[in-house]
Amino acid sequence: MQNLLDPAVLNAISGLDLVAATVVDGFVAGLHRSADFGFSQEFAEYRAYAPGDDLRHVDWNVYARSDRAYIKRFHGETNSQLMLLVDASSSMGFASHAVSKLAYVRFIAAALAYLATRRQRDATGLVVFGDTVRDFVPPSSRQGHLQRLLASLMRAEPQAKTSYAAPLTHLQSFLRRRGMVVVMSDFYAPPPDIVRSVTPLRIHGNEVVLFQVLDPEELRPNVAGSSMLIDLETGAQLEVSEDYVQGRYRERIEAHVADLSREARRAGIGYHLLQTDQPLDQALMQYLRLRTGRD
Amino acid sequence: MGWLAPGFLLGTLAIALPVWLHLLKRSASQPRKFSSLMLFEPQRRSTTRRRRIDHWLLLLLRVAVLLLLAAVFAEPYVRGHLPGAAPAKLLVLAVDTSASMRAGTRMADARRDALAVVAAKPRDTQGQVVSLGSRADSLTEQVQDADVLAAAIRGINATDARGSFALLASLARTLAAGTHMPIEMHLFSDMQATGLPPDFNELRLPPAVTLVLHPVGEAHLPNWTVESVAAPSQVWDPTKTRIVATVAGFATPAATRTVSLLINDRLASQQSIKVPASGRASVVFAAPDIPYGLVRASVQIDAADALAADDRYDFVIQRSERVHGLFVHQSSDAATGLYFRSALQSAADAAVVLDEVTVDQLHNRDLSGYAFIILSDIAALSPAVETRLTNWVRAGGRALLSAGTAAAQQRRVPVFDAPILGAHDYTRDDIRFASIATVDEAYAPAGALAGWQGIKVFYVTRVDAPQAEVGLRLADQTPLLLEKTLGTGRVVLLSTGFDRLTTDLPLQPQFVAFVDRLASYLSGRGTRVSALSVGDSVDLRPDPRLRGSADVLAPDGTHPLDLRQAAQVRTWPLPAAGFYALTLADSRHDLVAANLSRLESDLTAASPDTLKLWQASSDRSAPAGSTAAVTGAPMVRDESIHNLWWYAMWLLLVAVVTESLVASRYLNTQRESS
Repeated sequence: MQNLLDPAVLNAISGLDLVAATVVDGFVAGLHRSADFGFSQEFAEYRAYAPGDDLRHVDWNVYARSDRAYIKRFHGETNSQLMLLVDASSSMGFASHAVSKLAYVRFIAAALAYLATRRQRDATGLVVFGDTVRDFVPPSSRQGHLQRLLASLMRAEPQAKTSYAAPLTHLQSFLRRRGMVVVMSDFYAPPPDIVRSVTPLRIHGNEVVLFQVLDPEELRPNVAGSSMLIDLETGAQLEVSEDYVQGRYRERIEAHVADLSREARRAGIGYHLLQTDQPLDQALMQYLRLRTGRD
Repeated sequence: MGWLAPGFLLGTLAIALPVWLHLLKRSASQPRKFSSLMLFEPQRRSTTRRRRIDHWLLLLLRVAVLLLLAAVFAEPYVRGHLPGAAPAKLLVLAVDTSASMRAGTRMADARRDALAVVAAKPRDTQGQVVSLGSRADSLTEQVQDADVLAAAIRGINATDARGSFALLASLARTLAAGTHMPIEMHLFSDMQATGLPPDFNELRLPPAVTLVLHPVGEAHLPNWTVESVAAPSQVWDPTKTRIVATVAGFATPAATRTVSLLINDRLASQQSIKVPASGRASVVFAAPDIPYGLVRASVQIDAADALAADDRYDFVIQRSERVHGLFVHQSSDAATGLYFRSALQSAADAAVVLDEVTVDQLHNRDLSGYAFIILSDIAALSPAVETRLTNWVRAGGRALLSAGTAAAQQRRVPVFDAPILGAHDYTRDDIRFASIATVDEAYAPAGALAGWQGIKVFYVTRVDAPQAEVGLRLADQTPLLLEKTLGTGRVVLLSTGFDRLTTDLPLQPQFVAFVDRLASYLSGRGTRVSALSVGDSVDLRPDPRLRGSADVLAPDGTHPLDLRQAAQVRTWPLPAAGFYALTLADSRHDLVAANLSRLESDLTAASPDTLKLWQASSDRSAPAGSTAAVTGAPMVRDESIHNLWWYAMWLLLVAVVTESLVASRYLNTQRESS
């Protein structure tokens, strides 16, 4: 099952819908052995019928055998809303191996959309942004909506700089229902600024989670001697030495990750660091954890 | 420590190349794209410092290679003995053989001192013997065998040549350029002051040369000499001949000297003159009895001084009959003949008798007795007369034609055989006259005369003679004086006339000299000098095309030319004083006299200060105050020069190998890390 969640394996699959089905089905097959999680169609418990309960939920088989009316309860029987915010700026095109950060985000977003629409019957929307909102798919759970989401993800290409303020402000006007907002980005910005931009999304009781997607080369760069680095977004050049990259830079990237995690939790925002060479199950697990917590 | 060729140290500037290459390589890393530089600090110096330090060893090795390479070429040296190394040097023994070394025992003293230096020479030191006369001749190779050097020294004798110490400095520079050893050059000479060149820079020695001077003889030795003799080289009337001899004394007291004139080694006249102290006096021999032909003449004094070679001055006089020339003019033109004859008679040595005839009288004239014929502006010649004239020229005669206004009416110039293209009358132009713009200095009748540019030419006949030699040319490039060879004779054409209507030349002072030179040239007398100096060259082959053999009979009765020289050599330097009987390539016979240069007669030695300055010019010689070097005592140096270029070469080799190893290791590290 883990092999099917390996980004390198998924990268060889051409269709994003097939990727999503492969990821989610494999992931769900693994989860069936766990008692911690349930899906909206899955049975949770029986409870005695009380006046006012919907008669459609009465288990008539039990009533016939025991002559008592019980109400059958399922996980997630209350439909939710999932908004996926995908950063498609130039820096997301960086890749030290076969899977770029944007491709990895595509896999996660597709899998989450598949999981939400097919399994949880949640309304799912998508925002692709860079310095502006480049693509927007309103939340919906109707038939065929998943294909719209996947098509929009396929169109996303890395370009332009990153700006969190404008796209998230734009998104606030569309968040009418209570749900989840997943922001997927490399988050190359000062952590307080990121959190300040994301915090308004928590209106209407939304749960917000940040998936910081980084390439392993960004966390542990491999530089021999001195190298000239070019910023993918600004085009700026900087000569760096091997010693600096292996010392000072690692300290700074680790501090940046830690600061963002701390600032997010302090603001009641979920945070998770994803590396593009790791399986996608962590992201799905995080989603289900939040989904379960909401039930 | 010093450098034998310090100019090569400029090569050390090349160390900028590896430094630049290292810096270039440092900044030439391949750019890599990265997602964001937000977390990198923009402090380039701090991020690249370690990289520079990593390559210090390689950079230092490369710089060392270049420095050592420059050092090898610059040839470092140190003074003093290197441990375990024998001092190596080249000992050059230069013996002055100039004429002044004939005085007293100077030559014997020089040989004795040179042999002493050879005897004291270390066995493994190379030596070379050089004679310094009119040129510096190496008498031996660079050898260690003292016997070879001593034998060469014993064979050295004084010559009649004029010495110049500049030759020794030139030899020192040549030797220094061809050897890596320091050179110790010993000069055995009378240090004659007149042997020093006018420019002291010619004496400058290279740094690798140590000059040791061995003066011989007295610094001030009295000497009388026949300094000069003024005598005509050609005489046809001895009664008008005057021979003036000047006797000079150098460092001499006032004295009375007897001066004798010898003609063909027989006493012709003798006089006594008083020569003041260190002064000069002249004596005149008038109307000596000179026989016909080439005569050996000498003036000698009874000096009884140290240098007898300059007490005699030899010269040659040629006595001959006057030659006859024929001046042919139009019957209506008597003025040009008057001009020409007057100019000839005005010349200092009027050796030509000029006969004048009209063109009509030329028919029955016997031409065989004339040395030359002048046709002055002849309008026309009968075919018979022109044929006679042409045949006379072809047989070796020489003719001059002037083409004035009358000749310009014809279609061709007779005898000269060139078509006439037309005439140019400059008086009808705005410029009124033409000037002479080009003079062929090598053309005897015109080349040596000055003032041609002031001559005005009013009328000129233009002829078509592309093969002719042009001696004078007008400003518009019209030839004015041309010459053609016809058979074995020559024809000269003046494309204007001798009258005042065509040119103002007859009115100018140059006319007399021009006519005199023209007559001498046409009569074949040429210009000869009565005496030469030792070292001067005589022309044995006046016409290089001549295939004949030349010969020289030297004063000692020998024939110094070998077969190859006799058949090929064109000029030959006179090696010693005396009379030389020459047989030229054209079978003519000549006699020349050579005398040693009178600069050798002043036996005064150069001042010690000058000699010290010369020694110090190399910066390697004895200190300026050292008396040992000037007094001739062999200089015993407690320090010697050791060239270190061989050690620098070894260090260079080690540096190159080390650099290769370090660079290879560095490249391997880079390959593995990439």
